[in-house]
Amino acid sequence: MAGRIIDWIDQRFPLTKFIKHELTEYPTPRNLSYWWNFGSLAGIVLVIQIVSGIFLAMHYKPDALMAFDSVEHIMRNVNYGWLIRYMHSTGASAFFIVIYIHMARTLFYGSYRAPRELMWWTGQVLLLMLMATAFMGYLLPWGQMSYWGAQVITSLFGATPFIGDDVVRWLRGDFVVGDATLTRFFALHYLFPFLIVGMVVIHLVALHMVKSSNPSGINLADKDNIPFHPYYTIKDLFGFGVFFIVFAYFVFYSPNTFIEADNYEPANPLKTPPHIVPEWYFLPFYAILRAIPDLLGGVVAMGVSVVIFALMPFLDRSRIPGGAKYRPIYRVMFVLFVIDILVLSYVGLKPPSGSLVIVGQVATFVYFSLFTLLPFISRWEERWLRKKGLPPEVEELIRQEEEEAAKRGRRA
Amino acid sequence: MKQVILSLVIVVLGVFGAAGSQAGTTEVALKPIKVDRSLDSLRRGAQVVFDTCMRCHSLRYITYRDLLDMGLSKEEVDTLRGDRGLGEYLQTTMPPSAAKFHFGMLPPDLSLMAKARKNGPSYIYTLLTSYEEMSNGKIDNPVFPGIRMPDILNVTVETAPEERAVVEQQARDVVAFLEWAADPRAQERRELGVYVIVYLVILTALLYWRKRKIWSRLDEH
Ligand code: HEC
Repeated sequence: MAGRIIDWIDQRFPLTKFIKHELTEYPTPRNLSYWWNFGSLAGIVLVIQIVSGIFLAMHYKPDALMAFDSVEHIMRNVNYGWLIRYMHSTGASAFFIVIYIHMARTLFYGSYRAPRELMWWTGQVLLLMLMATAFMGYLLPWGQMSYWGAQVITSLFGATPFIGDDVVRWLRGDFVVGDATLTRFFALHYLFPFLIVGMVVIHLVALHMVKSSNPSGINLADKDNIPFHPYYTIKDLFGFGVFFIVFAYFVFYSPNTFIEADNYEPANPLKTPPHIVPEWYFLPFYAILRAIPDLLGGVVAMGVSVVIFALMPFLDRSRIPGGAKYRPIYRVMFVLFVIDILVLSYVGLKPPSGSLVIVGQVATFVYFSLFTLLPFISRWEERWLRKKGLPPEVEELIRQEEEEAAKRGRRA
Repeated sequence: MKQVILSLVIVVLGVFGAAGSQAGTTEVALKPIKVDRSLDSLRRGAQVVFDTCMRCHSLRYITYRDLLDMGLSKEEVDTLRGDRGLGEYLQTTMPPSAAKFHFGMLPPDLSLMAKARKNGPSYIYTLLTSYEEMSNGKIDNPVFPGIRMPDILNVTVETAPEERAVVEQQARDVVAFLEWAADPRAQERRELGVYVIVYLVILTALLYWRKRKIWSRLDEH
């Protein structure tokens, strides 16, 4: 019976073919490390956020007079409302942790390189959409930090030449952040996750075209592959298990780690908090904004610092496979970059004062220097390494890679 | 990769260690307390809050019915509420005009106070017990210089050790009650969490075992 139903469907829709092609026969490199779990983890966090978000929206009131109370109502009176709310607020932070690790893995192993540029760029778009969604979501509890964070960030758009004030008013729907802002942020916060789902589909279609990269950095497509199912379905499920243990720890035992204390005070337009901080996941970029003394310059630098990742396929000109694996200098740059991000986060967290301002400016300089120097360093590093003599198997890989690239070129 | 991770871990610890030590020097050191979550402490705390704090403060997210959920008996709640309804929230006895007259402001609502300050419980405890007489004879509070709330628990008057002990116990009980009020579902959350995490650990162990099993098929070739 089941077989007949599937036959019936298969004549009208490529169900079996799809499952075969994308799952049971989809070739995946055998040597993926656990760093490759973070893509599927991002997917499961997206699901957590959408499901918990829909349930929150059933009880939440996007109205400046009721928003704060409605969140407390969810926390106190709705059945398991506290669970839904804490899952959603913890999930936002989890999303960024997972995505940042996913990006770091891509940078470390050079997975952004040809032929995976489109994966990297759709990922970059996903990052921007995630940031926008998180930013708008943070306004919804209508606490002090929600309010003043939105006030500060929207005012940045005032740096737009000539039409700055109009842009800000258009974003807020009012002269200051208020009821109009809250309502539109809620509408968009509900919309964006579904746009993200669409973008994830594009990201995955691209993935299934070019296949996963792998720690050796070379194209293993026809060399050492195993089917995705069951090997990676079970490995991803195990990854989910580990993730959910950590996630549950925070949801049940430390749910306010990621919620600023000030945000348990209702928004008060007349009382500016002494120190306004954005959410932790924006801190490095916020520090870059503040490092530049000029507002327009700061806003541009902040914007560039987020989208500059998209240039990586052009900036990294080394042909040595394996990302940082065979490349000692790139490896040092990677470590420096991560340290720099941490320093920037710290600077973004603290009120700007004498020496910290300098630290922030130096760290900003280092941030952009690493990107701008990469084309020269990567070329020079490649020449140096090849003169010094790479392991023969790596030389062999480069030769094969070039052959394949040439083949691709002929076909095109 | 391993070295990279190791060096990063060291840096992360360093950065946050520095962050921690910096934070300590800029703010008044709070007296860390461990909140006593027993029903006795909550009951005494509720009594102090009703007798003193609610002369000025409200707890607008807490109703008399919530006190039943907290564990007070029907009789205890009836005594506390007098002729107010069970569904009414804990409202201050001071009219807003009087508050404005005395303090120039409405004293803040206390229902969320234990979450609305960093290290809320320690903050409230330290605030309540830190009033002292300044050299100019005025009473002030180093935790919140210039605070408009007077020395409610009489910390500056009751200085004898045994009196002090009573005051500090009162402050502890108040903190216990306010911590409960800020998150009345916290107990339920902590209890459920154990089951969820134990379940997840078992499930994950099984998944790991399955994974090992499935991947071992690859070794056969
Ligand atoms: C005589 C009126 C009065 C009483 C009684 C009173 N308070 Fe207050 N309380 C105030 C006022 C006024 C403020 C606002 C202080 C300010 O912002 O300067 C305040 C503020 C506070 C704050 C907030 C401090 C901050 O960081 O903003 C806390 C916490 C607090 N009170 C706790 C209590 C507790 C607990 C009790 C009972 C033990 C209590 N209060 C009793 C008048 C009172």
